[in-house]
Amino acid sequence: MSEKPRLKRKAKGERPYFHDDPAVDKLLAMLMGLTGEVSVLRDRLDTVERLAAERNLFTQDEIENYQPDEEALRARAARREALLSEVTRIIQAELEGLEDDDQGPYEEALALVHDDRPD
Amino acid sequence: MQTSELEQRQHAILPAPNHDELARQQFVRSFKEHLVAQVHPGNRLAYERRAKPGFIKKRGRVPQTRFEVGETMTQDPHYRMFSALLRTSQEMMWSAAQQPVQRDLDQLIEQAKKTGDSGGSLRLDPTLEVPRYHRAVDIHCQPGGYHTEIAEDDVAPGAIYDRAVFIYAMGQMGPDNADMGASAVAWLQENHPDLKPARILDLGCAVGHSTAPYAEAWPEAETHGIDVAAPMLRYAHARAEALGARVHFSQQNAEKTDFEDASFDLVVSHILLHETSATALRNIIAECHRLLKPGGMMLHAETPPYKNLEPFDAFMLDWDTRNNNEPFWGRSHEVDYVELSRKGGFDGDKVFETMAPSAYQTAQARRSKVFQGGDFGGGGLWFLYGAQK
Repeated sequence: MSEKPRLKRKAKGERPYFHDDPAVDKLLAMLMGLTGEVSVLRDRLDTVERLAAERNLFTQDEIENYQPDEEALRARAARREALLSEVTRIIQAELEGLEDDDQGPYEEALALVHDDRPD
Repeated sequence: MQTSELEQRQHAILPAPNHDELARQQFVRSFKEHLVAQVHPGNRLAYERRAKPGFIKKRGRVPQTRFEVGETMTQDPHYRMFSALLRTSQEMMWSAAQQPVQRDLDQLIEQAKKTGDSGGSLRLDPTLEVPRYHRAVDIHCQPGGYHTEIAEDDVAPGAIYDRAVFIYAMGQMGPDNADMGASAVAWLQENHPDLKPARILDLGCAVGHSTAPYAEAWPEAETHGIDVAAPMLRYAHARAEALGARVHFSQQNAEKTDFEDASFDLVVSHILLHETSATALRNIIAECHRLLKPGGMMLHAETPPYKNLEPFDAFMLDWDTRNNNEPFWGRSHEVDYVELSRKGGFDGDKVFETMAPSAYQTAQARRSKVFQGGDFGGGGLWFLYGAQK
């Protein structure tokens, strides 16, 4: 079975970091990724609660007492892994840059387009 | 989805996100709106109260150029925080726009092959070389750029771009991302009411979101769109057919096309110029001159030049040059358009530069009314440069 083609996820070009320690930028990116995922989750929950209320489907008590079965446990674990991949994306992005040898200084791109040499 | 500035108009080829993918995209838009409204304004405050006084203390005078503003602002903690967040929002935008495309790629490719009945066409040239200035970095940080293909008959870059433009502009370009084209059309109709183009050419058309308004405004005209990237054009063709716009797309470099001399009445571009290079820009203007009939009109929509901006505003508008993979952005905003046009063969007296109001009026009230990095379309005006042959 041939593997499904994957979109490139790292944009070619040296990534700027704005703080003296790039780790600060990376932590910020993770924090915003995490905030995004919390927002996604809250939107989904909002959809569920609105639908449930509209249709009188279940109560708050039933949510509190819910026991996930094995399938649900597995699905939740997979979803958590996807969440972690999303939140820690920037770590992979740097590695993808290394892997693709996409480490040329940005100055090269600037020089390329500013020079009057024919392309 | 609704048809308003709140959400993009869903057409047959636009990838349909699932619940969480949509929520993720909408979060990025909210994040960008928050940055524009709540974080970006702090840069001016930080400059006035902290960065500028620091510069004065060291040099005994105020910063006089955008470079001097940059010297002090890039050390400022608020600017650094803003920049780190803006860059992150850009990366999250592409990531969120990619997800439904990655999931549905096979289906999107199949869907794109189903030609509609709008009468447009698609002509690809596999031998066309993607120019070096386009390959050096992935422009505006779209992973893989416009040209990378991961599957046969790939449309992914177009599908991702169509969605990302809406998020990037935060809906400020309308439900079809058409505002740049629509505003240029409105400006032409008001200022050149006698212009009745029989043949129209849009250079660097990407997914044709700015091309469609021309085909709609002049339905009798033959409207062409060219781009160097095949996957963009496949998507553009499918999109135009889905929206009922009759456009003929072909894969060509705007520096040197295969159209005949004096064969167009109107040659336009929309935020193309800053994605090229000093040499390419000169070639493109000369090509516009070659392609136009006598009396024909060249019109380029861009963000405004720096010459009339305060050094601080120019510095902030220049954010993309180094931080969003737009290496030619800064330099292209300092071009002498009269000189450039003359070199291309135009009469310098026939060159004009103007600000055209945004045609997408309904979003007006929410706009920040300033030109600033990360707030594309927020000015409510588009800069137009052009010349009549």
